[in-house]
Amino acid sequence: MTDPNFKKGLDALDQGPARAAGETVESPPPAGDLPPHPTVDALRDTFGEAILRHEVVSGDEHIVYIGPERNLEILRWLRDNPGERYDMLRDVTAIDYGNGAFLQLVYELWSIPNRRQLRIKIELPLDRLEVDSVYYVWRASDWLERETFDMFGIVFRGHPDLRRILMPYNYAEGHPLRKDFPLRGRFTRAEQTRRSLSLKTEDHYSPYEVELAKRLGQPLPSVMADDGGPGVPESGMPGIGAQ
Amino acid sequence: MGLNPDEPDETRRDAHVAEMKESGGLPVRTAEAQGGIFSGAPGFLTTRLDTVVNWARENSLWPMPFGTACCAIEMMATAASRYDLARFGMERMSFSPRQADLLICAGRVSYKMAPVLRRIWEQMPQPKWSISMGACASSGGVFDVYSMVQGIDTIIPVDVYVPGCPPRPEGLMYGILMIQEKIRRASPTADWVADESLIEGLPTLPAQHLDLVTSPFGNSTQQNRSSGLVSSGAIVRPNDRQP
Amino acid sequence: MAQTKKRTVVYNVTRNPQLADGGGLVHAPIVPVEGEVASDFDEDIHGTHMLINIGPQHPATHGVLRLVLELDGETVIKCIPHIGYLHSSFEKLGEYRTWNQIVPLTDRMDYLAPLIYNCAYAMAVEKMMGIEVTERCKVLRVILMEMDRIFSHLLWLGTTAIDLGAFTVFLYTFQERERVYNLHEAYTGARITTSATRIGGMMADLPAGWIEQLNHFVKTFPRTLDEVETLLTNNAIWVGRTQDVGVISGQDAVNFGLTGANLRASGVDYDVRKDRPYYDYETYDFDVPVGEHGDIYDRYLCRMEEMRQSVRLLQQAIARLPGGPVNVDDPRVILPPKTAAMNDMESMIHHFKVVMEGVRAPVGESWFSVESSKGELAMYVVSDGGSKPVRWRVRGPSFINIAALPHMIEGSLLSDVIAVNASLDIVLGEIDR
Repeated sequence: MTDPNFKKGLDALDQGPARAAGETVESPPPAGDLPPHPTVDALRDTFGEAILRHEVVSGDEHIVYIGPERNLEILRWLRDNPGERYDMLRDVTAIDYGNGAFLQLVYELWSIPNRRQLRIKIELPLDRLEVDSVYYVWRASDWLERETFDMFGIVFRGHPDLRRILMPYNYAEGHPLRKDFPLRGRFTRAEQTRRSLSLKTEDHYSPYEVELAKRLGQPLPSVMADDGGPGVPESGMPGIGAQ
Repeated sequence: MGLNPDEPDETRRDAHVAEMKESGGLPVRTAEAQGGIFSGAPGFLTTRLDTVVNWARENSLWPMPFGTACCAIEMMATAASRYDLARFGMERMSFSPRQADLLICAGRVSYKMAPVLRRIWEQMPQPKWSISMGACASSGGVFDVYSMVQGIDTIIPVDVYVPGCPPRPEGLMYGILMIQEKIRRASPTADWVADESLIEGLPTLPAQHLDLVTSPFGNSTQQNRSSGLVSSGAIVRPNDRQP
Repeated sequence: MAQTKKRTVVYNVTRNPQLADGGGLVHAPIVPVEGEVASDFDEDIHGTHMLINIGPQHPATHGVLRLVLELDGETVIKCIPHIGYLHSSFEKLGEYRTWNQIVPLTDRMDYLAPLIYNCAYAMAVEKMMGIEVTERCKVLRVILMEMDRIFSHLLWLGTTAIDLGAFTVFLYTFQERERVYNLHEAYTGARITTSATRIGGMMADLPAGWIEQLNHFVKTFPRTLDEVETLLTNNAIWVGRTQDVGVISGQDAVNFGLTGANLRASGVDYDVRKDRPYYDYETYDFDVPVGEHGDIYDRYLCRMEEMRQSVRLLQQAIARLPGGPVNVDDPRVILPPKTAAMNDMESMIHHFKVVMEGVRAPVGESWFSVESSKGELAMYVVSDGGSKPVRWRVRGPSFINIAALPHMIEGSLLSDVIAVNASLDIVLGEIDR
């Protein structure tokens, strides 16, 4: 005996994610019907052409697309303008849609005084992945930009310490979150293991620290506990007399 | 004559007195009666050197907890009040590899971490054992990705694999009991130093030895031994199957 | 006996509407820290300064964090954290998994509060899909999240106390944690890796007797908390090592993007549960503790108070837990019942298709955040209409919080490094991702 409910379910599956006509799910109203975001209007008035378009997704999340040229100016204005005061940079990340599409750089802002959310997106062509860093506007962007650089290869001009953060400093396989990067990496497991085991102490340090150690006149401290060589005791009955 | 806990105290005391009278001194518990490792006359003790060395080793293992992720929390739970690892003579967690003889690798190990794990293993004095705790340490688990080691047995030798994600504390304890069993069966007098199969001149391995180290032994199934580049075909979305 | 100043946590219950619109204490634009560049070396330091390395395998770094410190005697001149030693590429892996298959990845990310991560992920996807979960599911998720807030704070408390030399607290807190482990296990079958949520609901309804077990925990847990407080709050050693150590001002904390108890201890009243309420948090009666000094001690007080508030929330949530289904009635995301799938051909095909092809999400994206035990946890999901995400991004609170570590410890003593690091309540699984 067939339960009509699941017949419905099967049909719904075939229809896919789009909502069926006449279905009374309280779907989010389209962007035009929403109360306009005050910041977006202010942005349009101030920067004009630099503001490309405005979208609303998932009901209440406002996205503003801007060009890559004036991002620092616009973002600084968003933080400092007394009417906006987006004092919290909650996230910097990027999205790669693959197939050569533009990379989207995403800034997620929050204003504690005004309790307002705004997402800024910048579309970057794959051959020109460069924008200005907002390091001196929000310090929160320090590691977030480093991570975006590490994972996507977007270069942030003016970041004082832009280097890889999650992958080893001498990682040679590319930027992992790009869609053209295979899930298991570009090298074989054997090659990856070989490269990993031949990491030297210097490979765990940034150029700044190498320079610092040189000035201090001391060798770089080992990352791998104390650097006394393999731990086989030399004398007598090892294992019993070790203490 | 052994002590039977079921006997009433008076019976036991009487037997004790009788035994003392008979032997003319303190009673010596024989190996047969006790199931223990010592036997002999009053004032003397005879045993096999292997047995006494193993007995000492297995009951005072000093673990080196190499905890990285979720399994480390379960390892902490094992050491904490309810499960109480101290019952196995493992009261002393040794955070220095030079004073440890059991490496518990709890959690996933990335290629960035692998040389550290290798070096810590090398720094532990002989004899030494290792437990690979959890699916990630044993085989990479769900993390069959570009950054993770597919089983620490490609980096160091492993004595006991504890399955689970993460294993329960009981699981870890069972693994420890298996290590103790292994120690009990060893013959330290026959080979004082366990054969260290790793190659000298570390941490860089010669290429010809590397396939040995990275070959699929243990339960690591994600290895491939061919060297060179694998193709980096772009991902086909959204209809692609799971890798 | 050292002086133990009595300090209290400031409550900002009314969210002071007269102070400012948002009730926050920080409004002034923050002066950029333009002078700080990484390349200016102090000349003439040869022989007096020392470079040392802590980690990545060190008992006090709470995992695999690695710090490189430049020391002048015992004073920290510069601190450079290195992370990535646990990089497990969750986000890349998520792009190869269907929407429901990502749930097991989320709890391996923060293994200290797995259910919060499960719920946050499911909530983000549901928001993107436009699914409204049932009333029972909402309250149930509130219960689970508040329970795990306690669960995570307890581990923080125990390990921080160990780092500062108090071992007993660790045993006390793990005793309580074992009871939460039991609750986890009774509901989900796993002690840590719970994977409890599904898109549109939970993996199952609560087992019989679970609420009674939870009730017992809620009743008896505050007593243990009081005992722990007597061990620490007025303890001269604890006070001496935590007060005025690792101070960060409210302005700096906001500029560094700190969230959670770390931000609130600095006097900034920002809690996602109050500022962008989800799951009817605005209808629960609870306070958000706000500190004023921004040091370790205030973070400690805030977290202790948060546990008590979580107990209050749990009591209210248990009282209002309604009956009814726990999953939405939407066959596109929810599996048919097992009996139907076994007896009825069409249900079986339905079951098969949902499992094999996965739930399909409409084109869209959502950046959704909840208040996790460590701060603001956001899941950013982007869909192109398929059954797998184009991008699954986690805005981890620990990742942002730990970035402020150098700012807090440069200029203080070496022994404070461990204390400050512990006080930030980090979890490396989520920092390294």
